[in-house]
Amino acid sequence: MKPRIEILDKLKGHVFETVSTYYKSLSDCKYVDVRLGISEFKSAASENGQSKDVVDDYDASFGIRVIAGEMSSWGFYGQSLGKNELRNEEITNLIVSGINNAYERAIANAKKKQEFKKSADSLTEVRLAKIKVCQDTVPADFEIDPRKVSLQKILKTSVDVSLQMKELDPSVHYAAAGIRTGITRELFCSSEGANIDQSLPLTQGVVYVSAQKGESSPEVCYDYVGDLKGWEIIEGKNCYNLSFLDFALERTRDTIELSGAEFLKTSKDDVVVVTDPHFNTLLVHEIVGHPTESDRILKMETAYAGRSWLFKSMDENQVGKRIASPLVNAFSDPTTMGYGYYKYDAEGTPAKRIDVIKNGILKTFLNGRENAAVLGHEPNGSMRATMSSMVPIVRMTNTAFGPGKKDPKKIIKEVKDGYYIVNHRTPSISESRENFRISATKVYKIENGRLVKLYRGGGIMANSKDFLMSIDAVGNDFKMYPIPNCGKGQPMQIMRVGNGGPTLRGKARLAGC
Amino acid sequence: MIKTEDLRTAVAGALKYIKKQKDVIDAEVFASWSDLITIRLDYTSDIPCNGIHEPKSIQSYGLGILATFKRGNRIETGFGSVTNDLTKGGVLDALEKAKRNRVYDPDFKTLPEPVDNPALTNYHDKRVMEISGEETVDLGWKALDGALKTLRDGGHKKTIIIGGDVTILRERMAIKTTKEIDDFDETTSLAANITVMIENKNVKGTGWSMGTHLTTFKPEAAGREAAESAMRAIGGRKVKSGRHNVIFGNQPLTDIVSNVLIPSLDLSSVYASDTPFLGKLGHGIASSNLNVYDDGTIKGEIGSKKITCEGIPTGRTDLITNGTLTGFLANNYYAHKFKNNLYNPIPRNGFRYSAIGRDYKNKPGISPTNVIIEGNRGTTGDSLLKQVDNGVYIGGIWYTYAINGLAMGDFTSTIIADSFAIKDGKIASPLKPNTIRINTDINHILNNIIGITKKKRSTLVWGSREVVIAPEIAVSNVQLENVTGFLA
Repeated sequence: MKPRIEILDKLKGHVFETVSTYYKSLSDCKYVDVRLGISEFKSAASENGQSKDVVDDYDASFGIRVIAGEMSSWGFYGQSLGKNELRNEEITNLIVSGINNAYERAIANAKKKQEFKKSADSLTEVRLAKIKVCQDTVPADFEIDPRKVSLQKILKTSVDVSLQMKELDPSVHYAAAGIRTGITRELFCSSEGANIDQSLPLTQGVVYVSAQKGESSPEVCYDYVGDLKGWEIIEGKNCYNLSFLDFALERTRDTIELSGAEFLKTSKDDVVVVTDPHFNTLLVHEIVGHPTESDRILKMETAYAGRSWLFKSMDENQVGKRIASPLVNAFSDPTTMGYGYYKYDAEGTPAKRIDVIKNGILKTFLNGRENAAVLGHEPNGSMRATMSSMVPIVRMTNTAFGPGKKDPKKIIKEVKDGYYIVNHRTPSISESRENFRISATKVYKIENGRLVKLYRGGGIMANSKDFLMSIDAVGNDFKMYPIPNCGKGQPMQIMRVGNGGPTLRGKARLAGC
Repeated sequence: MIKTEDLRTAVAGALKYIKKQKDVIDAEVFASWSDLITIRLDYTSDIPCNGIHEPKSIQSYGLGILATFKRGNRIETGFGSVTNDLTKGGVLDALEKAKRNRVYDPDFKTLPEPVDNPALTNYHDKRVMEISGEETVDLGWKALDGALKTLRDGGHKKTIIIGGDVTILRERMAIKTTKEIDDFDETTSLAANITVMIENKNVKGTGWSMGTHLTTFKPEAAGREAAESAMRAIGGRKVKSGRHNVIFGNQPLTDIVSNVLIPSLDLSSVYASDTPFLGKLGHGIASSNLNVYDDGTIKGEIGSKKITCEGIPTGRTDLITNGTLTGFLANNYYAHKFKNNLYNPIPRNGFRYSAIGRDYKNKPGISPTNVIIEGNRGTTGDSLLKQVDNGVYIGGIWYTYAINGLAMGDFTSTIIADSFAIKDGKIASPLKPNTIRINTDINHILNNIIGITKKKRSTLVWGSREVVIAPEIAVSNVQLENVTGFLA
């Protein structure tokens, strides 16, 4: 028998007790938190109507953060958990051993920091901004329990979808469909007294299709449907209002059509571009979401994912300044549905909506407790980790451009000469996110308010601020889409986030093949 | 910590039990232990910081069973794994999962069979296997110290950023199969990747050190190198948009190889039609000066392994030979799928990697080991500069993506560090970082090679597992675009 998430009912008291008491026995140990998570999930994958893989399994792990030492420093320890360890005595022993490991690192780190402090005066003790310490239980919310859907049904759905994709047209070389559904339950206990038990379901479908006509390059499409909900996502209660099959077939039809389309050419100068909500999902992710993460703001990601064009120093930054047209609003909201939904973040901070850009003015950054303390901001609960055994880092939540008032059809109709940029594909962003090139699945030429020609292999490139300032129309067609694979951190953590927005109109250069 | 002997005993016991099961035709039992330690640097001279942010580790061990079962006339395959359990109970659990998870996949032909003997043995460092928490923390501070001292000696104390990490990976695995594969492997790898910025000078430099043994691992040297590179870039200028002759240094070449070229030279990409090299096997795809191959047997390189996670000895897989496409990376599944009278790939790249190394929870995918890029007519760095005469030396790029999918071949990236103008065959003024975007195509790069240096350097880029043993390579007419700079 595989362990069920309900096993945490038996363990949570012991975990809380251990965290609350054990750290007191360690000299100079200032803070401990433990996240212990278990996921039950089922998945299936198929290609061209042939089954490839099914999994019905669980995954469990824990991660421990410790702040210790005369000059308070971090230490972290994480490990996976087996079925036999999900028992009170075993889990208590493992957590004590994990705290000792993390504590040893923190103490060693603190000693070195003290030694280096003499010649590097910016080295400082770790401080966590105060939060409301919570004790709460958050049950998973779904219509159809992922755990009650049979593996056979998941496999059959996947096989049917990939078969129908493949059979849609002879130009389809390859069609794949994958489905994953399950529930993750995680305990968060801290030495401050937090005791949070939070469960989130996840159901996701992914399609991959390639089609080729004649000697031209194959056209490839890769896209997802999903939310933190149950099996109803696959049946059509999702951001597309399409069943997984219909979503897959729509993507396949697009790919077939595109495989015969002309390639877009790079424009010499800026042109008028209307970007649809799906494209703006990746745009807001890259030029608003990431550069407002406070670890980038504080230069902590310089070696990996980069800095932020919004913050040079404490004295020279864009907070309170205009970075976008007055029509542009952006927010980050973990309390609304989407891949970035939760009630508490990975530090136990209650989730809340924050305005990131209001009427074109930059308002604030996404943070965790340590970065909030450094910046002098209020913690806004934006810390997450991919698994309990990984260290939490600042993450976008459901981060999106806010809706406007204009009918998107009118936004296009008003364009005499321009391009309609539809559905995101791949981003490439400069180091501080001050410049972007993002490819679209489809690009249409707009002439006199009408879509007159489809191109493939295109997208747009612009300086981020120039593009945001150029926006002269914002649609009322707001959508939130899933981004399942945002990579950040070292070791790399792949995180799901929600992003979205309405239709926008601005100016950018076309980027072709 | 789990010993290799424990893993070997577990896979032997598991296979003995599985062989007694009537419905099992064949089975592969894989057990692994891995521990990834990361010491992350976070120093900012003008913002309160920790110097070393969080010394951390993630550890996991367990056992996975890939088995084939007979059901009527069909053969079905299934995979199951258990975590932190090498007992008979764990084996029963894993086998039960494999049975529950079985499917009929007509592309699955057979489990791997032994092919030859491993070239590498006993190449890990026992000291790394036993390294203490305090020692690992010290390695991070050494890297920071190397950078800080160098910057101070150069007169730079303000607007300094020092980031990056020291990463230590320790892995043990054992495998035993009904096809007579019975082997084990132990690896240790150490990598320091350090980035230094002097923000008020708008410069960035990178440095790195990699190895399998502590004696040759020099994190402080990586810190020094990053600081020296940053200082060398002071006074950077922009270049005009347009086509330029460029030299890609070790890091940019590695970024392009890891993110565009190698993913396109993988049989799973061929199967999904997601490569610009579809139907090009045996055809010229690059300058005749270019050779690219994967080789997991090079002692001292951190991409090396004795055996794959399918128990096949690592070895050399030629990918591009004298400019001709000669092969693709393969695991056992795809090697059998693509095998024909003219092409018989040996599956030297079947690995079960996750973020923390070899992972019993995964079925084997395809991963590179060490990717070697070399020219038939290797030249010196000075000669390469003379060949380019006037152009751009690119030493650091970032966010390299096949922007319209691998099949299209085009990719984009931005120049972030360690780059210079080339004037009259010599390195001239530094380039201003973050002001130039590269918009080009892998086919253009491969077919417009001016020259390749003989000297190579082992290089690793963020998010990639493979080591690229990269020369410097000059390419003509690469499209560069001027973009805005930081907070411009």
